[in-house]
Order: sequence, then structure tokens, then C-alpha cells
Amino acid sequence: MADVSLFLTDLALGLLLGCVFAVIAHGLNLIWGVAKVVNVAHGEFIMLGAYGAYWFNLWYGFNPLLSVPIDAAIGLGVGVLFYFVFLYRELRGKESMGLQSEMVTLVATFGLALFMINAVQSLWTGNNVGIPWSPGILQFGFLQLPLGGLYVAVVSVTIIGLSHIFLSKTYLGNAIRAYSQDISATRLAGINPTSTAAIGTALGFGITMAGGALLTVWLPTGIYPAMGNLYAPISFVIVVLGGPGKMWGSLVGGLTLGVIIDVGQLFVGSLSLAYAIAFLTLIPVLLLRPEGILR
Amino acid sequence: MTRVLEVSGVHKYFGGVRAVEGVSLTLAEGRVIGLIGPNGSGKSTLCNLIAGVEKPTKGAITLDGQRIDHWPAHRIVEQGIAKTHQIPKPFLAMTCRENVAVAAMFGSNKQRDLSEALDTAGRVLTLVGLEGKMDVVSSNLTVQERKRLEFARVLGTGARILLLDEIFAGLSPEELRDAIALFAKVQREIGFGALVVEHVMRAVLTVSEHIVVIEEGTKIAEGTPREVVENPAVIEAYLGVEAAHASS
Amino acid sequence: MRLPAFRSLGPTIWGIGIFLILLGVSAPWIPLFLLTLLIGLLISATLAYSLNLITGLTGYVSFGHVVFMAFGGYALAFGVGTLKLPPVAGVALGAVVGLALALGIGVVTLRFRGVFFAIATLVVAVAALYIVLEIKELGDGQGIYLNVGFEPLSMFYTIWIILAIEIGVTYWITHGRIGYGIRSIKSDEDAANTLGINAARLKLSVYALSGLFAGAAGGVYAWNVSGAFPYDAFNLIFSLRMLAMIVIGGMGTLLGPLLGAVAVYIPSQFFLTVLIGFEFIIIGFVVVVIALFLPDGIVGTLRKYIPELRGILE
Repeated sequence: MADVSLFLTDLALGLLLGCVFAVIAHGLNLIWGVAKVVNVAHGEFIMLGAYGAYWFNLWYGFNPLLSVPIDAAIGLGVGVLFYFVFLYRELRGKESMGLQSEMVTLVATFGLALFMINAVQSLWTGNNVGIPWSPGILQFGFLQLPLGGLYVAVVSVTIIGLSHIFLSKTYLGNAIRAYSQDISATRLAGINPTSTAAIGTALGFGITMAGGALLTVWLPTGIYPAMGNLYAPISFVIVVLGGPGKMWGSLVGGLTLGVIIDVGQLFVGSLSLAYAIAFLTLIPVLLLRPEGILR
Repeated sequence: MTRVLEVSGVHKYFGGVRAVEGVSLTLAEGRVIGLIGPNGSGKSTLCNLIAGVEKPTKGAITLDGQRIDHWPAHRIVEQGIAKTHQIPKPFLAMTCRENVAVAAMFGSNKQRDLSEALDTAGRVLTLVGLEGKMDVVSSNLTVQERKRLEFARVLGTGARILLLDEIFAGLSPEELRDAIALFAKVQREIGFGALVVEHVMRAVLTVSEHIVVIEEGTKIAEGTPREVVENPAVIEAYLGVEAAHASS
Repeated sequence: MRLPAFRSLGPTIWGIGIFLILLGVSAPWIPLFLLTLLIGLLISATLAYSLNLITGLTGYVSFGHVVFMAFGGYALAFGVGTLKLPPVAGVALGAVVGLALALGIGVVTLRFRGVFFAIATLVVAVAALYIVLEIKELGDGQGIYLNVGFEPLSMFYTIWIILAIEIGVTYWITHGRIGYGIRSIKSDEDAANTLGINAARLKLSVYALSGLFAGAAGGVYAWNVSGAFPYDAFNLIFSLRMLAMIVIGGMGTLLGPLLGAVAVYIPSQFFLTVLIGFEFIIIGFVVVVIALFLPDGIVGTLRKYIPELRGILE
């Protein structure tokens, strides 16, 4: 009986955690769709979002939920900057980058990633930090769920929902989606490719950093400069699982991975191993179904 | 020994799309077969199936009796079957000579020596009339020249059965006349067999001894060029029912 | 398998050869601190040439290359520590482990193109760290300490031979038939397949070679630092340094990795003592700048803008 309740608790926790995973994956999905190339430094921007929430808490006493919109706003600005520094030259409204440009961007963003990790490490410290915010526990039968986790799960789903509405109901959102699928067509429709791409990228970064802030609720002592190395692969795996470019896929993929990790650690005994296994699911997914599990 | 390639009842479905449905034909060394049909009829898919770029959903493709339909593309090239690309794909950073040398080194010729391969490349390029562009980087070629480079490349592999995907497209009447003459001359000299996939009627009807017509993935007619041209089903496929009635 | 005739060897390989011979001959007389520096430099160069084999030549960006180096190091540590092998045998074991690992990983990941390959290698590298942390025989998260003496001359000659062989192999690959095959794959892999090139096998062979040399270098590295420790061995900074070296030097060129190794390693030694932690920031920044503005690296850019050098510098 105890085992089942443990399993169910971990299942529930996994689902809650998965919602936040979905947000960080959604950010990657947007950037990938618009930029046509993966930002290897994605994890570092998650880290930046997490540290942002930490610093706002430290200096102004904001709880993480309050930092979410602030981080998102910063992310928008960062995203535009990123677009013009890294992507504009290579893309310039082309359908996709050539092999050379893709390589260049991959390498450049990899360099950016390690630059960011060590910049934060030098400017702050390499020690693990966390935000002391514990709104309490919700008792649901035998389930003990952290309220913080519930709150961020709700916020996460809201963010994804809002993003979905934006992308499908607004002019700009549809322009971004169109751009992700077919650049020349959008140009024919009179949409400016550069500003669309820049805004799409900005949105992606905004969501990513917001996700980083949301993540901190699950990491009472888990914020450290290289944390991106853990969450970037998770984002990638989710995006591939859900299908690059499929916007709702992030949610399904995120929930799945959250469950795999939290329930998985029950079976393999260690969290590290659970993460490793979750990462390695990328390989069979890529082999069997490159479009992602969702059709 | 003359190599014979048999396509038997081959189907190719892409999800719900039936690109090729039950097509059979025979290619042989020395024979030039034309393949015509309206756009989207499955001609290029058929080429891809034979070349091993795609695998048939059903049916068999055999070379001298041996099944090759599930072989990887490079293995099929080793057996002497090579395909051009409808939109030329030269190795842009290499010169024409190097492009063809690659073909000579890795195709069915499998020349091990680099300098020999470069020599072979030179001879092939001269044969197709690109001797002036031998050491020009292929990114600097016009589309016409690139198509000819595609032709040179498959020749360079030493293939005995060529799959030529629209190599006569986009030429002016004069260029077309020269191209047809060149093709005929090269074919006589080397003696390869070919499947000539074309839209340009004049070319395919001139160079082929036998024509196969497909529409929407199935074969609707075959025969000599004259027979095919007068076949009502063929006229209907291209021009509609009224035209077919008008000609009969 | 034909070796290139001596007469046809280009000036670059001659230059590198003479440099290596001079180094090898004068080694016994080089002062200790300089020798130690050189050992580190040669290790870096070996790693650079190793990544060059796969990323420089075929264009498949491997972020996870550190994995071969790390397991090579663990192989040496295990071989010397547990199996009581002499260090050179441990290095050979590292090479074998690197080769096997590359074959295993490559068979799966080389099916993916571009971005997906890069990410897959990154994911494997990160997962490998987490897995190694759990394995008791490999030090159970603490790593393996080695109690070997510091033998600078043996270490030097070991890595010297490895590098010399590696550069020779690189030269042979790029100057022959295989080189054209690889360049075709880099240019247009699909077209290459339709001309009879077995791209899958060629990529795997090159990847396996790169794993072999990275594993060997990792073995010498572990010998040098007297142990294999997970957070040190699997540090992604190694992957970044390797990338930086070939990006700065010139991807796919013969001299590039060596130049890149000098350009990255020497300053890093300076940073070790003076500005700890800043090395990564600066390397990261430099990689970004060079990748964006000088993607051909030193050798490539020189060849591009000074035509006279094209026959000489490769």
C-alpha cells in the first residue's frame, strides 16, 4: 500500500514538474521554429531566468512568481539582441541556413553557453543557491503536494495557453507560425521576415527565462551556474518528443518527461541515473520517429 | 554480358499518397527507354526507386535476376546503375573535374588512384563538351552546364544503365538540338542503356527506341514513339478527353 | 593502400614534420617546466586533430567529444590502478576504449543530421557523466587516484608519437581518394550516396579514428594529472577547447588544429595562474567572435585572401 501511494505521489509530482519543463521546452520550440537552428545556450538562459528570480528575491524580496513577468520582459529584450547578433547575419530572410552557417551558429552558441556559465560563476559564485519560499503543502487524501509546485504548474499551463492563443489568434502570432513553416510564403503575404523572426525569437527567450524563474520553486538548493547542462537536454528531448515546431507538443512532452524522471528515480534509485535515462530516450525517439511522437 | 534491369509490379505509397502503382518495365544495357507523363505522375519517384534512394512499398526490382530493391543507394551504383538529379546537385566547392573524379573513384569503376580518376574525369568532360570548364569550380556554372555536369558524373561512375531525370529541360531550340545530338553520339560510343525521364517531347521521342507513359502512378501505354504519340489514352492524359476524340 | 610519395608531400606537412622531429630530438635537454608545458600542448593538439577528423572534415559538429577523452582517462586509471598495467599500456587501452565507444555511439548518432547529431552527442556526454557517477568500479563518484611517479620524458614521447601518427593519418586521409569522399559528404551527403559513396561507413570510420585518438590523449592526460575524476574528466570545457582550437586554427585544414592548439593552450596556462576562471569566459567569447566573423579560422582565412599561399599552406 505504501508503495502505491509513493508511486502516485511521484506521479503527481512528476506531472507538476513536467508543466514547468513544458515551458522551457516551449521556449526552445519557438526559437527553433523561427531561427531554424538550435540555440545550444538554451540551458544558460534558463539558468539566467533562475538566477534572476534568485537575485530579485535576495535584493527585493520578490517571490518567484513575481519574478516571472520581470524575467519574461528581460527575456524579450535579450531575445531581440540574440537574434541580431547571432541569427540575422546567417538567416537574412533565407529559407534556412546552409550547412556552413548551421555549423557556425551551433559552434557560436556553444561558445556563448560556456561563456555565460563561467561569467555567472565568476560574477557570483559556483555555489548552489536557492530561494527560500515555501507556501506550504496541500494534502489531497494521501497525496502531499507542495503548494509552490501547484502554483507554478498553473502558471506554466497558463503561459503555454496564452502563447497558444497568441500564436493562433493574433495577426503577429500567425505571422510567426507562418514564418516557422515557410519563409518565402510569408514574404509574399507582405509580412516582414526580419521583424517577425526577431519578435518570435524574443518571445521564445521571454518564455524560456520565465520558465527558469518557475523552475526555482522546485530547486530549493539547486541553482548553480552549470544547471543549464541539466535542463537544456531536457528541453531538447521534449521538443523532439513532441515534434519540433508543434506547439502543443511541449506540454505533452514535458509531462511525459517529468513523470519519467520522478517515477523513474523510484525504480533506479538515484535521481542522476533517472536524468541520464530520460536524456537517452532522445536517441530511440530520433531513430524511430524524427517528427516526434505526436503526429 | 548485357545487364538487364527489371521493374516488376512496383508500388510506392507515401502515407496516403500513391505515387507509383503497379508499374513494370524493363531496362537493358544499350537500350534507351523514354519515360513520359504529366507532372506528378510518379516519374521521378520511379527513378528514385530504381536508384535505391527510395524503397518500394510492394513489388520487386531485379538486376540480372538478383533483387536490388532493398539495397542502399551506393551499392546499386556499384552495380552500374546511376541517376542524375532533376535539380542538379554538384559538389559546389569542387571543380568539374573533381566532381567527375569522385564519381570515377566511388562509382562502379571504383578507380583507386586519384590521378587516374582525374584523367578519366577529363576524358568524360571532353566527351560531353565541358572541356572548357574542367577546372572551374562548379558553383560558377550555369544551370545548363550543371545539368551537363550531372550527366558527366553518372558517366564517370561507369554506369551501364543510366537514369536521366529531365536533362533536356530548359534549353533553347538550338541548345536542344545540340544536346540531342550529343546524347546520341555519347550513347553510341559508350553503349549504355538509359531511362530518359522527360517533358521535352522532341528530345525523348528522338532518342528513345521505346516509350513508357505513366499517369498518376500507373502505366497507361507503351510502345514505339510513333505508337505512343498516336495513342488516344496518352493524348487524353496530356490534353484532355476532347483532344483524344479529335485525333481519332 | 598507397602511401603518398615523398616528393609529393606538401610544404605544410614538411614543416610540421620538421617541427615534430626537432621537438622529439631535443626533448631530453628541455627544462622540466617547459617540457610539462609541451606535454600539455601536445595533448591539446592531439585532441584538436581528433575533433578535426570528424567535425572539420565532415562537418558533423560533435559537442560530446569530451566523452572519448574522459573514458580514455578512466581506462588508463583503471588499467594502471586496478590491472597494474604500465602507463603506456594504459594509454593504449584508452585508445581502444575510445575507438570502441566511438563505434558504438557513432553507429547510432551518425544517422542524424546536423543539429540532431550535435545535440545527440551533447546528450550522450551529459548522460555519461551521470552514469559514471554511479559506477563503483570507477571510483563511485570520487574518481580514481593514481600513484604513479611523474615521468615527464616517457609521457612526452608517448603523446609525441600519438600526435605524429595522428597527423600522418590526417594527411593520408585528406590527400587521397578518401579525402574526396569525405569532402563530398560534407558538401552534399545525399548526392555523395548517389555516386556510390558509402557515406555511413565513411563517417563511422572517421568518427572511430577520432575517438581512438581522443581516447589516447585522454589516457595521457589522466597519466599527467595522476587520476581520473568525473567532474574534471567530463567537463564540457574540453569540448569547447577542442572546438575553439579547430575553429580558430581552421576547420578541416592540416595546420589549423596545431595553430589552434597553440592559440588556445598557451594563454590558458597563463590564465591558470593569473586569472582563474576567466579562461572559459574568454575562450567562449573568442569562439563566438571567430565563428561569426572568421569562420574559416586562421589557415582558411589566409588561404582565402592570399592566393599565393594556397599551394603552400594547408
